[in-house]
Amino acid sequence: MTERRAQAPDAVAGAAPGGLRARLAAAPLVLYLAAFLAYPALVAVRLAFTDATGGAFPSLASFRVLVSDELFWRAVAGNLVVPAATVALEVVAGLALALALAWRFPGRRLVRAAVVVPFALPEIVFLTVARSLLGTRGYANGALAAAGLPAVDFLAPGTALSYATVVAVDAWRTTPVVFLILLGALAAIPEEIGEAARLDGARGFRRLAFVTLPLLGPALAAAVLLRGLDALRIFATPMVLTGAEGVPVLSTYAYHQWSDYGDDGAAAAAAMALALIAVVASIPLLRRREAA
Amino acid sequence: MVGTRRAASAALRDPRAAGAVAVALTLCTAALAGCQRDDSALTLALAILPGELPAYREVVAQFERGTGERVVVVPQQYADIRRALAAEAAAGRGTIDLAELDVYSLAPSAHDVRTLDAADVGDLPEVLDRAALDAGTIDGLRFLPHRLTWQALVYDHAVLGRAPATWDDLVAVARAHPGRIGVKGALYEGLTCDVLPFVWAAGGSGERLDDDGALAAFRLFAELAPFLDPYSATFKESTIAEAMARGEIVLHLNWPFAMSLYASQGLAPDPIRSAPLPAGPSGRATVLGGGYLGIPRNARHPERSRALLRFLLSRDAQAGLAERLGWFSARRDAPLAGGALLAGYGAMRADVRPRPRLVDYPRLSRAWQQAFRAVVFGGADPERTLRDAQRELDGRAGA
Repeated sequence: MTERRAQAPDAVAGAAPGGLRARLAAAPLVLYLAAFLAYPALVAVRLAFTDATGGAFPSLASFRVLVSDELFWRAVAGNLVVPAATVALEVVAGLALALALAWRFPGRRLVRAAVVVPFALPEIVFLTVARSLLGTRGYANGALAAAGLPAVDFLAPGTALSYATVVAVDAWRTTPVVFLILLGALAAIPEEIGEAARLDGARGFRRLAFVTLPLLGPALAAAVLLRGLDALRIFATPMVLTGAEGVPVLSTYAYHQWSDYGDDGAAAAAAMALALIAVVASIPLLRRREAA
Repeated sequence: MVGTRRAASAALRDPRAAGAVAVALTLCTAALAGCQRDDSALTLALAILPGELPAYREVVAQFERGTGERVVVVPQQYADIRRALAAEAAAGRGTIDLAELDVYSLAPSAHDVRTLDAADVGDLPEVLDRAALDAGTIDGLRFLPHRLTWQALVYDHAVLGRAPATWDDLVAVARAHPGRIGVKGALYEGLTCDVLPFVWAAGGSGERLDDDGALAAFRLFAELAPFLDPYSATFKESTIAEAMARGEIVLHLNWPFAMSLYASQGLAPDPIRSAPLPAGPSGRATVLGGGYLGIPRNARHPERSRALLRFLLSRDAQAGLAERLGWFSARRDAPLAGGALLAGYGAMRADVRPRPRLVDYPRLSRAWQQAFRAVVFGGADPERTLRDAQRELDGRAGA
């Protein structure tokens, strides 16, 4: 069976690996990647190393702009703190939801659908709703006022609370990804294993810690890898909720340089810094994934 | 190759497959035909709000009726128009026939547009405001002022009763309404447009951060800082206008579009009104803004572009834009826009000043922004901040 599967692609292509027909079959993909991935990336690299004022290449002028900008360093810190906190929160929440909703109970499908709704909504719609909810005169503060409590500045720029709010809102929107991965993995655990654990006296927390979680290890690693790399690209949540300066991350900083200052070189340099962080972060994540 | 030919002939023998191929080919042809550019129409790239487009089209329709031309108005942001012009100039061909740019971005785009000679502009230099015309002259006349704009005070009349007329009044209002005074404090050119009027109103040049006027203005900012809305650090034109519409702030500086926005929401001319900026020790001032028209270097129909340009700057068209959109004209013979809605803007007309005309203006502008944020949001000492900022600017200029 394995042998037949291994031979299948060549059989479909009808050509030996490395042959002309195989190369022709791969050509559209190569052209696509060259046109839409490699070429824009090379242009961005060239832009980052071009002096915006004099047009000199190569130049480190754009990187000097970044290094001397306090907002850039806040964005670097934000790009480490916010994704890490978001992924941690959504792994905990996604696991809790998956464990809770793996049980059979009436209305389970409806509850599962409700959990997935934030991810199914268009991002801008979800974030606009979140901003209406959490703004100074939003529904949350309306509810607090009705309860006789003081208003809370959930989104006040640069405060710890605004960082926590961005983390919570982003986790709220993307937890369904982790939830769905873990729910699928839970469903794949053979019932016999749970049965055997129960016969051996493992119940409740012990069964979760020593049976379920180890079996979920590969799925958890996949979820962390997927969401960890995706979370590094965070843009819309801090941008819509707090603007470029409120909770800065590298993508909002790059957008700020591009849009507010028209400095394409600094924007490309910031994007390169983000790419570098993503590559560095992916190495341990991939190693853990392989180990799992 | 043989296999492909064999597969094709097999497909053509199957009537259903042949039908599917025919439908696919028809759809592709239709899609390609739909993507064909209409070369006969003139394309005008303009920074205009979607709500303003119908009124603008009414004015352009007069040109279309008079000449038989068709004009496609493409609403875009200034930054996008600037990039499109640069891309078309680099490519050696383009689709834009006439483009509007912010006065702030004229210099970087100057060589992406054609120079205008006497035959192109007719009697326009005689009827246009001299200072406005000068702003469009960069290595020759390249841009003509489509509309002028400047900031005024926008305030909640129902809450304040009257607008603060002096700096002392402004401080009194801030103390009486803590957290409800807004400033466009995000790091962008809009912040410079909020800072410079105060610097000028205190006798500062706007070109140096360490003169007495700058220091007086920054001392005022430091005094106002504790009473500003905390979201001021991220406010821009649209977000501060929205905050005022929600009743979160009672006073801010903004461009005339904000009043049109409030009017459309039933909030202006009451309770939200416009007023002149508060006078400082040396009077009042506000920053000149506005949209300028230029003909791209690679415009497909330069002659027709010139005709459209002349029409848009004609007295009738400018009067139409003033009446329908409340735009201020650079033509001295055009009626003043506004009525009650823009009364505060009209009253500021004599106080409008262009930004410093320096080669390195963007760097100066950033220095103003960073100094403001350091003093207002970082609590830094105004005198030391301004002195250090000027020293850094001088150092970079020397380097």
